[in-house]
Amino acid sequence: MSEVFQTTTVEQMEADTARLYENAVKVGMDVWQDRVKNQTPHCGFGEKGICCRICSMGPCRISPKAPKGICGANAATIAGRNYLRMAAGGASAHSDHGRECVWKMYDATADGYYHVTDEKKLYKLAAEWGVETEGRDLYEVAHEVAEMGLNEYGKINGFQKWTQRATEERQKVWNEQGIMPRAVDREVVTAMHMTHMGCTADAEALVRQALRTGLADGWGGSMAGTEFTDILYGTPMPKETEGNLGVLDKEMVNIVCHGHDPAVSEMIVTFSETKEMQDLARANGAKGINIVGLCCTANEIAMRHGVKMAGNFLQQENVLLTGVVEAICVDVQCIFPNIGPLSECFHTKFYTTSPIARIPYSTYLPLTSENAGEVAKEIITAACNNFKNRDESKIFIPDHKHKASVGYSCEGIKGQLDTVTNSHFDVLDTYQPLIDCVTSGVLRGAVAMVGCNNPKVRPDWSHIEIMKKLIANDVVIVATGCAAQAASKAGLLDKRSKVLCGEGLRRVCTLADIPPVLHMGSCVDISRMMLLVCGIAKDWGIETTQLPVLGCAPEWMSEKAVSIANYVVATGIDVYLGIDPLVGGSDQMMDLITNGTTEWVGAGYHINTDPDQLVEDMLNAIEAKRDALGI
Amino acid sequence: MRRLFDRVFCGNDEMYAKAEAALAEAVAKYGADHVMKMPDTAYNCAIILQYTGIKVETLGDLQKAMEAIKNDWMPRKQSTQAIFFSGFATAMAAQVIEACKYVENPAPYGTGDDRQYWGHMTDAEVRELGVPLVTEDIPGFVVLIGPAPSDEEARDTIKGYQSRGIFVFLIGGIIDQARRMNITMDFKVRVVPVGPEIWHAAHIVDLVMRAAMIFGNVQPLDYWAMNTYTLERIRAFINAYKPVPDIVVGAGACCIALGFPVVTNDHEDVHVVPKSLVIYDNTQDWIDASLEARDIKIKVTTMDIPIAFNTAFEGEVIRAKQMKFDAYGATQDCFELVQMKDASEIEDHKITVIGPDFDTVTEENKRSFQLAYIAEVCGKTMQSDFESVFERKFHSWINCLEGVMHTGQREQIRVRVSNAAFDAGLRAKHIGEVLYAKLKNEYDTVIDKVQVTVITDPETITKLKNEVAMPAYHKRDARLATLTDESVDVFYTCTMCQSFSPSHVCIVTPERLGLCGAVSWLDAKATNQLNPNGPCQIVSKEGCVDETVGIWPDVNRAVNQYSQGHLEKVTLYSLFQDPMTSCGCFECICGMEPASMGVVIVDRSYPGSTPLGMSFAELASMTGGGQQTPGFMGHGKQFIGSKKFMRAEGGLARIVWMPSALKAEVADSLNAAAKDLYGIENYVDMICDETIAGSADDLDKMIEFLNEKNHPVLGLEPFDM
Repeated sequence: MSEVFQTTTVEQMEADTARLYENAVKVGMDVWQDRVKNQTPHCGFGEKGICCRICSMGPCRISPKAPKGICGANAATIAGRNYLRMAAGGASAHSDHGRECVWKMYDATADGYYHVTDEKKLYKLAAEWGVETEGRDLYEVAHEVAEMGLNEYGKINGFQKWTQRATEERQKVWNEQGIMPRAVDREVVTAMHMTHMGCTADAEALVRQALRTGLADGWGGSMAGTEFTDILYGTPMPKETEGNLGVLDKEMVNIVCHGHDPAVSEMIVTFSETKEMQDLARANGAKGINIVGLCCTANEIAMRHGVKMAGNFLQQENVLLTGVVEAICVDVQCIFPNIGPLSECFHTKFYTTSPIARIPYSTYLPLTSENAGEVAKEIITAACNNFKNRDESKIFIPDHKHKASVGYSCEGIKGQLDTVTNSHFDVLDTYQPLIDCVTSGVLRGAVAMVGCNNPKVRPDWSHIEIMKKLIANDVVIVATGCAAQAASKAGLLDKRSKVLCGEGLRRVCTLADIPPVLHMGSCVDISRMMLLVCGIAKDWGIETTQLPVLGCAPEWMSEKAVSIANYVVATGIDVYLGIDPLVGGSDQMMDLITNGTTEWVGAGYHINTDPDQLVEDMLNAIEAKRDALGI
Repeated sequence: MRRLFDRVFCGNDEMYAKAEAALAEAVAKYGADHVMKMPDTAYNCAIILQYTGIKVETLGDLQKAMEAIKNDWMPRKQSTQAIFFSGFATAMAAQVIEACKYVENPAPYGTGDDRQYWGHMTDAEVRELGVPLVTEDIPGFVVLIGPAPSDEEARDTIKGYQSRGIFVFLIGGIIDQARRMNITMDFKVRVVPVGPEIWHAAHIVDLVMRAAMIFGNVQPLDYWAMNTYTLERIRAFINAYKPVPDIVVGAGACCIALGFPVVTNDHEDVHVVPKSLVIYDNTQDWIDASLEARDIKIKVTTMDIPIAFNTAFEGEVIRAKQMKFDAYGATQDCFELVQMKDASEIEDHKITVIGPDFDTVTEENKRSFQLAYIAEVCGKTMQSDFESVFERKFHSWINCLEGVMHTGQREQIRVRVSNAAFDAGLRAKHIGEVLYAKLKNEYDTVIDKVQVTVITDPETITKLKNEVAMPAYHKRDARLATLTDESVDVFYTCTMCQSFSPSHVCIVTPERLGLCGAVSWLDAKATNQLNPNGPCQIVSKEGCVDETVGIWPDVNRAVNQYSQGHLEKVTLYSLFQDPMTSCGCFECICGMEPASMGVVIVDRSYPGSTPLGMSFAELASMTGGGQQTPGFMGHGKQFIGSKKFMRAEGGLARIVWMPSALKAEVADSLNAAAKDLYGIENYVDMICDETIAGSADDLDKMIEFLNEKNHPVLGLEPFDM
């Protein structure tokens, strides 16, 4: 009667990748595995963050015999500026994504393509921001709230409004440390200005601005992405879906939605369900239309509609190599330029939809609030008509896939926690049941697994091995982005994976009916994690820095990850990195991002490129935090 | 505040030390080779058996168990697994303490009316729980560890649980409180005073282990199978009144590990764990809060009656000195009847009383009072075949009234009403209310309208008995006589037990009722009608492969499908070839006896041994949990009188031994069948019983007896094993 549950191993995933690679060879196109070889070894100065190409006197590279650049900038200055510029790049990406979401709400109408789905969340936000709602039209309220949201990007005075959602203690720390974020755009511009030739040379000031820019993202731009997306398309609640390449269906018209901003993919999902489009698919000999997601667009539409998830960042070429993708439609971020030429090798149609991500060899259909439905229909129509153009000789769909429970927003988590309360004495809608599990020792703590894939390590291996070790030690996991997708591919979002847990977490999973890894969404949804930790700290009555909660990005690669790491640390949560943060050329910088931030905000980076050691460090850190609390 | 995990470890150490001392004393007194056997169980020291795999037979085995507990089950680290292990270690140590007492005396807490505490429960008692658990007549178990804040509160809480059908186990001072409040305590009324100390809880955990082994076929050492079974299928929970010392916390870890939440009002060094360790100060509201914590929903049938109605009162006995009256069908005319009518003839919920009410009963006529009741029902899918199905439920329903006892059926009923029930306001119309409410509630998809007539007027009773009831009974008997496996078109599955025995499937035929004795072919038919997607599914008889052995393709398909692939095939009439499986709650167990090449049949109520050298408990442990064990089979009592009984191996002529009480019970039908089959008169007299051969030592006596009687088994071929 003992349950039998098998994960999909990284070896099995690698075997699938190897089999698909044969298709790449067949069509004569390179894929990331080839390009990694071509790019290795990487530039040592770049890897250590001590190559400065900010002005045209250089590039200058720091070495023992050349310890300063032409202007006199030393290793710490150069590494610090590069680091801050990465953070600013990431903050702008997340925040601009968030801004697009706010714009969609600004344009929303009752009968337009974009409208308000979660009225309750809108009214809650309106109340939070002091917007009058009594006797007003829903859309009047929505537009005013959206305008205030847009204003957060360029406000003249004051700080990001949502920082008031943090604990009192955090707000105090941010004020005292001078890192309370102002307008989102301003923090990015400040970062760019500070790092201009001839501006800030003091590494500490650069690291502080990285924290502040990060906070403008996590408690500003990203939070806008999450909040307004929820209002527009619905707040995610637990639902079932499937993950990994096996979700592609040979009998169906497969349309892949890739990127981050769900404005396009929402339309594609909506219109693919219409009779007109279904009939068209059948008229073309398919059984129907199969929408699948890639990267964070997958996370967005999976958690709201149960759309299946084909995989994460390094899976994007694999998806096309199956030969069964009629169309791939992208919005912004994490899209390989190689999708263009690769799609040309198959019958696959490649659509770009945002002026932010223009890519050669694609059909560009710029999406607006007014034409969104037409764009979606055009893509679906083209995909259906393309079904017959498949080349049978190039088809291979790996059969690996797993069930996945997704959609654990803060509201979703509280909803599940409510199911273990007792109506005779408990109050609803709090994190108290989770806190009780932690204080009693049944759960040792929680880890937020986030971040990308990175071929500098064995892809997905670090994510999956670290998660397995954590859950086996009764540490519950919340995950977003490519980390959540790795869990999905391995089967760790399947509720049955509780058999891999220690007995404490296993029992919690059974009683609360959750998987051990809770899918919280896309990478902008790490803002949800910030609300989660602050909510827990408030309900518990302790500081965020005291919580036995850690962040972990074992395979990070993008600038967004740098921004995220900054706001997570600033929120008081230690971050464990499995990839060097590109500042290794400066001892001072290494000290600042580990010990320095710990001194200012109570948390910092912990770096170990060996995943086994990294997870040991995390388990020890959790126990140390427990000891400090006397629990 | 002390860490919860550390408290578990301390409590575990404390229990272990006590066990060491108790065992050392016992070994010093009796020696390590001394036999250690708990009474009437085939799963001796089931907790130790389950977790260490040690089959305890001697005190020395308990010493080995103590070693294993120390080495494998007492890890000391901050993990949930460590506290769960330590919880099991605590329960096993408690079991050692108690086992030592049974070495001294097989009944250390007394017997009969002098039984001070219940202590160990027998396998037969465990098996009795099977059917009521399946039907949710017992929706769950509570262990009250007390004393409660006051005697009155103890009474109210016990009574409160009892009135909801919850089986109540008492540990500690609450037992004395219950005694002071005159609460009847007995396994039969489902309030069991287990013992005064926390280590007595071992008897309850032991019962849980055996339930999982018997009904769920959980194998010793299968840690996850046990813990998953108890978590998912045994709805138990604990109420622990403050103070809760470490040793109780240690035992509590075992309960929580098994999935049984603990509710307490002790805040001192207690950490809340949702749905597992719950602190709630309002002890007077513990019942509903606890039921919610264990996800137990009580089925409520609201009925307008002045006394309690609950299955817990089913086993209640009304003694002569407590009774208001005794209506007895054997001495006066009494009867009960269900009749199907046209919708136009019935006014729903009309209760008519004909004759003087209960308040007219005097001391003089209390033994000659007469009672009859007729329930008339209609419904679009109602069939006259269902009349007897519903009528048979009256026994249980009337019995569920607190202070009312019902025995027998048809014109042989006996109904006793206690003074207490009468004083509480019970009158004739309330009998009608109960029948109305239960019929409408339990058979709502078949019955649209019900009206009930309750009659106490002697003349009317006699008239209706002769003109209506008796003809109806005769008609039914004639119909039942034609109901054979050959005469019907379909059989039915019964998977009601699957909530406890997930891979068992009964095939119910007219001549072979469910092995629990509770589901006849007509019952199954009615159940199928009530809920077409429910536990009783139609099995076609098409394409019979072998009529003697009882092989039908669709029977095999059905058992395969409904056992989720666990079983491939069963035969209906063979003991050796793919015999039907058992859930564990069977009425009788039949096992082959190699010396005579016959079979021994034992029913649950017979506590002694058999010529096989095995008791009911031991025989029963050979099968159950959906397993096929050729040569052993569970079945209902009624099957003993069937011509289909192990027909493949020669049929009824194989029965060589039964307990005398069982012989008496099945004599009529068995004699009739044997006469038809073999032309033998009074076949039952040829069957041996415990008065002639009561143990394996008496095997020769049995053979001698069979020879003397010229038992037909002597002319049969040996079993083809």
